[in-house]
Amino acid sequence: MDHFPTNWGRPRNDAVDLYNTFPIHQRPSNVPKDAFSAGIQHTQQPIVTGTSVLAIKFKDGVMMAADNLASYGSLARFRNIQRLCPVGEHTVLGAGGDMGDFQYIQAILDELIIDEFAAGDGHTLGPKEVHNYLSELMYARRSKMNPLWNALLVGGFKDGERFLAFVDLLGTTYSASTLATGYGAHIAQPLLRSAVEGREDTLTEDEARKILEESMRVLFYRDARSLDQYQIATITAKGVDISESRKLETAWSFAEGIRGYGAQTQ
Amino acid sequence: MTSIGTGYDLSASTYSPDGRIFQVEYANKAVENSGTAIGLKVKDGVVIAVEKLVHSKLLVPGANRRIQTVDRHIGLATAGLPADGRTIANRARDETANYRDFYRSPPPLQAIVERVGQFVQVYTLYSSVRPFGVSTILGAVDKNGPALYVIEPSGVFFGYHGAAVGKGRQLAKTELEKLKLSELTAREAVIEAARIIYLVHEDAKEKEFELEMSWIGPETNGIHLPVPKDLFDEAESKAKEALTSGLE
Amino acid sequence: MSRTPVSLPQQHQFNPYSENGGTILAIAGANFSVIAGDTRQSEGYNIQTRYAPKVFRLTDKAVLATNGFAADGNMFVKKVRQRLEWYRHAHARDMSLHAIARLIQTMLYQRRFFPYYVYNILGGIEDDGSGAVYSFDPVGSYERETCRAAGAASSLVQPFLDNQIYFKNQTAPPGSAHPTHLPLAHVLSLVIDSFTSATERHIEVGDGLEMYVVLAKGSPLQGLDTIHGVTELTNIPGGERMFVIRRSLKRD
Repeated sequence: MDHFPTNWGRPRNDAVDLYNTFPIHQRPSNVPKDAFSAGIQHTQQPIVTGTSVLAIKFKDGVMMAADNLASYGSLARFRNIQRLCPVGEHTVLGAGGDMGDFQYIQAILDELIIDEFAAGDGHTLGPKEVHNYLSELMYARRSKMNPLWNALLVGGFKDGERFLAFVDLLGTTYSASTLATGYGAHIAQPLLRSAVEGREDTLTEDEARKILEESMRVLFYRDARSLDQYQIATITAKGVDISESRKLETAWSFAEGIRGYGAQTQ
Repeated sequence: MTSIGTGYDLSASTYSPDGRIFQVEYANKAVENSGTAIGLKVKDGVVIAVEKLVHSKLLVPGANRRIQTVDRHIGLATAGLPADGRTIANRARDETANYRDFYRSPPPLQAIVERVGQFVQVYTLYSSVRPFGVSTILGAVDKNGPALYVIEPSGVFFGYHGAAVGKGRQLAKTELEKLKLSELTAREAVIEAARIIYLVHEDAKEKEFELEMSWIGPETNGIHLPVPKDLFDEAESKAKEALTSGLE
Repeated sequence: MSRTPVSLPQQHQFNPYSENGGTILAIAGANFSVIAGDTRQSEGYNIQTRYAPKVFRLTDKAVLATNGFAADGNMFVKKVRQRLEWYRHAHARDMSLHAIARLIQTMLYQRRFFPYYVYNILGGIEDDGSGAVYSFDPVGSYERETCRAAGAASSLVQPFLDNQIYFKNQTAPPGSAHPTHLPLAHVLSLVIDSFTSATERHIEVGDGLEMYVVLAKGSPLQGLDTIHGVTELTNIPGGERMFVIRRSLKRD
């Protein structure tokens, strides 16, 4: 049993600060020390961070969502940052974690896409290729003990096939019909699973959007590192569409009834 | 030729007594033997067209392209040794990649032409290397609007409104001069480019050729792309028409 | 209880490893081999996905199951497959099972000081037609065995296998001996029971079960034709045959 309440519900793996709490305060560490840690130099920690990215499959493709906030610890530092970006004609990349690393990844991918375009051979990179490239990149960097500190979702549609997969700073990959990174993996993923699993082939674009919007709202209520400004990316046979920034409708009147939060004096 | 037998033409690192570098001039000869390539910088874009001489009926149509893409918004055509042309294109791609890596923005064409020009020039300095046997037409629409340059085997480069290199360059230049380039649209320029290529090919009529055309303009979103089939076919048939009516 | 001194800045050591749960298991018969794994991939209390294969077909007669850190596992399988392809190009045939086993040991030991955090079990058919299982530790120690379980629930499954396959703590009736090899149908039901039990008692095991069965050349189907959910993966007359059987496991 862990006797430090501040550690409860936190990831067992101290390398992944899913809550983006650094550098707010220090937490006592009662995690067993890694046997390899003694002789190896530490590399880095995420500084300016993005929180959750959500993604689901639906009838015609894949839909993703991420808010526009980049935090500096507990400071909401950049409130108009893009965490969803198109990669080629069939793919969207969504990122949580270090935004500097994410922007570096975007530059690498842009060069990759230009190289493919310049080849002019009629081939284009699809989401599978982009995801595999990223998994090799992330795994190679973690193997150099110099990771790109991100959790990435790759969504896309090519040749009549939906694709949705995850890759993170360790090079860990997986695929499912609903995915969520960061805090969203705890809060939104269960909601997404109950809304989507088994209905991937019937959900309409509007229904998918509603599911994501509702999950983003729950995240905004519960995740202190989130923002009510967010974007939605839709990838279908027609290509990639990343929405303008939109604002969540939220209601906080219930807070008035909470003792110690509202206007009550005692 | 005056240079032959004098010994001054064996190396790019030796001037002739009257100040010439014969190896560079020979490189220009290689260019002159090549099918014509032209570039048109117009009001809203750039068009590149090539008369690709096909030396064998056994070749697959579309093989050995002479128009290449350097970056999303930059295209290039070469006249001369095709293999040298690919080396130039690869170098240009490396330079755009380097520029993007350094400045995190799409390179203006002039920056790339300066670098590639320098690269070409270096091959005129040493006895151990051969100058490039190509003249390169580079076209782009960058932050400053449409741009068109030619790099010659000497490494020298100039910006142009209309450019022509290769066998039929003289006639092509005359035709280009007749056009009001700064008033044409890219779409109109495609028609003119096809016409000019077909016209200059008249002198080498016995040889087969393929027309290659690419453009960068508002209709391509500022991206270097092959001219789409419908426009290409229209331009080609108009070119043939103009040729027959001109002969009558 | 050790507390980090407040004066020191927080050292945020990057840990290049993670554990992704799940369990794998392989059992060798006289002329067959069964290699199985669940399909759940998790990290801590999070189920990352309910379907991430841990069992991989390498050749027509070799199957590799990996367990531990999933990124290392996938990368390792990729590298092994690459080496097997090079071998095919050089020798125009598939590498034999014992050679794959040694290859895997060499590849693992090459990373002795930055190991692939993966437990491997290789199953298949040897050149002599016998079913074989090789098990490895993360740095390459390996041995040929009749059965082996690895991964999150190995401590639950292995003792069960010891008892049911090796007949440990069982005394044979006087005048008789325990069989050295069990029939395929029996082995399959042991595998299924192992995973349903592991799913009950271990939170990191569940969702799906993938069982690969490799049959030696010319051996009968031994009841495989009557079991439901079988797919044959091979199509070479007279060669080894490979099947995969997929079952669902509890998702809680």
